[in-house]
Amino acid sequence: MKKPTIRAIASAGAAALVMGALLSCAAPSSNSGDEPTGGGGGEVTADNPFGLAAGTSIDAVVFDGGYHTDYVDFAGEVLKAKFPDVTVKVTATSEINAEMQPRFVGGNPPDLLDNQGAQQIPLASVIESLATWDDLWEAENYEGVKISDAVYPGIRETGTYNGRFVQVPYVMTAWAFYYSQSLFDENSWTPPKTWDEALTLCESAKAKDLKLFVWGKEAASYWKYLALDSAVKQGGVEIVERIANLEPGAWDDPTLRSVLDKFKQVIDNQCFIPGGSGQQFTQAQAQWSNDKSALLYYTGSWIENEMAQATADNFQMTAWPPLVVDEATAALPFAAIDSGADEKFVLPADSANIAGGKELMRAMLSKEAASNFAKTRLAPTIVKDTVPADGFGSTALASTVKLISESGESTFSWSFGGYDTYYAFGPDELVIWNAFLDGQKTVDELIADEEALGVRAASDANVEKVKYSF
Amino acid sequence: MTTTTGPGSRRRRVARFRQRLTFDRISFVAVFLILPLAIFGVFELSPYIQAFYYAMTNWGGFSAEMDFVGFDNFIKLTSDAKFLRAAANSALLCAVLPTLTLVTAFAIAVVVTTGGPIIGRVTGLKGGGFYRVISFFPYTVPAIVIGLIWAQVYDPTRGLLNGFLKLIGLDQFDGFPWIGNVHTAMPASMFVILWGFVGFYTILFVAAIKGIPAETYEAARIDGAGRFRTAVSIALPQVLDSVQTSYIYLGLTVIDSFVYMRVLNAQGGPDFSTLTITQDLHMEAFTRGQFGYATSMGVVLAAITMLYAGIIFLIFRLIRGKDTDLGSAA
Repeated sequence: MKKPTIRAIASAGAAALVMGALLSCAAPSSNSGDEPTGGGGGEVTADNPFGLAAGTSIDAVVFDGGYHTDYVDFAGEVLKAKFPDVTVKVTATSEINAEMQPRFVGGNPPDLLDNQGAQQIPLASVIESLATWDDLWEAENYEGVKISDAVYPGIRETGTYNGRFVQVPYVMTAWAFYYSQSLFDENSWTPPKTWDEALTLCESAKAKDLKLFVWGKEAASYWKYLALDSAVKQGGVEIVERIANLEPGAWDDPTLRSVLDKFKQVIDNQCFIPGGSGQQFTQAQAQWSNDKSALLYYTGSWIENEMAQATADNFQMTAWPPLVVDEATAALPFAAIDSGADEKFVLPADSANIAGGKELMRAMLSKEAASNFAKTRLAPTIVKDTVPADGFGSTALASTVKLISESGESTFSWSFGGYDTYYAFGPDELVIWNAFLDGQKTVDELIADEEALGVRAASDANVEKVKYSF
Repeated sequence: MTTTTGPGSRRRRVARFRQRLTFDRISFVAVFLILPLAIFGVFELSPYIQAFYYAMTNWGGFSAEMDFVGFDNFIKLTSDAKFLRAAANSALLCAVLPTLTLVTAFAIAVVVTTGGPIIGRVTGLKGGGFYRVISFFPYTVPAIVIGLIWAQVYDPTRGLLNGFLKLIGLDQFDGFPWIGNVHTAMPASMFVILWGFVGFYTILFVAAIKGIPAETYEAARIDGAGRFRTAVSIALPQVLDSVQTSYIYLGLTVIDSFVYMRVLNAQGGPDFSTLTITQDLHMEAFTRGQFGYATSMGVVLAAITMLYAGIIFLIFRLIRGKDTDLGSAA
């Protein structure tokens, strides 16, 4: 750590005050106006749709999170089988933002970037420095099928902002309740469909000295997803569309309010394991997956992989759709879930080898690489038909895939690459939701706080607004 | 630093030597004056100047493009509730932690150096060396590890603290979120920082107290001074130099507090009650992509730091100005 002396600070500060004024009219150095680089250089054929040149190298930076990064190494090997004299360098990091920032400013960003995790770059900051994926979608995959036909529908829409297709999300994800089938069978419980059923189940759980739900401080906003998903199922996707488009008063919606009122009742009935606002989220999750002291956890389908080391034997992790207020009046069938794709890959426009970045993604979307991912990570990619019915022996994967197919046409997808990530609401929302789940906020206060975030983002002239339609 | 002055004739020779630019002299100036100044200018001054400029732009951080916005960022800071909260938290840390840490460290130092039997030679408590090592031990652990350890200790359901409290019958602490409750998050976090630093300052004060001649203590004892009286009237005034340095240095460290606070509560704690300026700055820059605005927070932080140092200097000058009996006052 740097340990400046008082004198150093004082003199430097004084100098800064004087000279800052002198320098204030100096123009910053700029590399704008550079020729766009990385246009391949190789011959464009059906087999080499982006003109990847021989002898070049591909520089990929991949978020080192729950899925790790060796699946990209694997795809690199698949690519090298086709292009033997191309080298692929995969760099793993979780500090995406801090490590990539100087490279973007310096004009030497990587050819392919997995912009994911808590330290991801806010998309609004880099969206203008990104190339689009349009020609990848038109290209054929390694099996000769057009890529747009080989992947699940809706992927392009998820990655499109203001008409530009800038993100390819690689992993199919679903938001759902996860629970231990064996624990439920033991007690002859069935998972709840409505908030009222949840309240009843909460009392049965209490009788066994268990709690219904659990939360951890870094993952408090998972429960925001439950609230909004529940509101969408009850009242339609327009509710969350208005919120995403930062419309004033969007949070003060009667249907959303009815969900939040029920939610507040769950909190006030002490159905959550207390103390989540002071507990690390993986510890909180372990209370559900390992200690089995909470019955249900609302989370994403990465949960099985994330808690693999802290899951009780014979847990039989199983997925279940989010709650509704009243099934009879709900806008969507109960099977409807929030499902879409995440793990967002982007193409920096200033990179040295854009063709290489595209080609590596094309390799990742090959049947071989996608099947490898599904099998080793127990999560489906956006490539269709890579998971067998038994989910490679995983109840969580099998039930998640079943949930996605049962949801079918009623599937909605607002949270992936969502407005809250785009406008970087994360830290502020965690504070709001931790307080709400802790019982320290009323529904009115929660709505007012969420409204205030929307107002702030809407009035920020530095951030380009996105028009969402789900 | 010491300077030696020789006899008059030599001084004149030195003066004549000064006017001649020999290779020796030029290389001496180059190595010991110009080089450090250049390094200072390039690596210390210019970043400050650069930062001050960025603070007056709307730089987003990911391109070289930025617009000059004058003092807009600073004006925005004055109405940014989150930043004002962070500034208040930093001020609270500065006001409470150095005092608390130094009082604790001084108390331990006095006990292990002069807390022994009141009769006979002035010695420390029996086994004082052991306590000294124990108190220093946390300082050898990196801040990030300290934070991780204490985050586990404070865990509401699985942590040591609540486990212990339940063991002694305080069942109301079952599931109590020490760093998740708006009233306890700050004190709990402060305790962690105190725990981490107290050992270092204990060692510092032990060394300073050992430099006080034993005769002073003996004289005081003969006059009937007890342990507390000797600590306050003999030890404290003679280690005031160390106290002042420690106060400033510790203050600078706790204004930052980034590592501890980020590990304990990455998002700034319940209702942002443990958010520091450095965390707010980091979030604005790296989560929200507002590098220009974040830099203006940095400039304000530098100003606050200087102000703090100035206030501490002033306080100590006032304390010493009154007490003319102190031979060691500089």
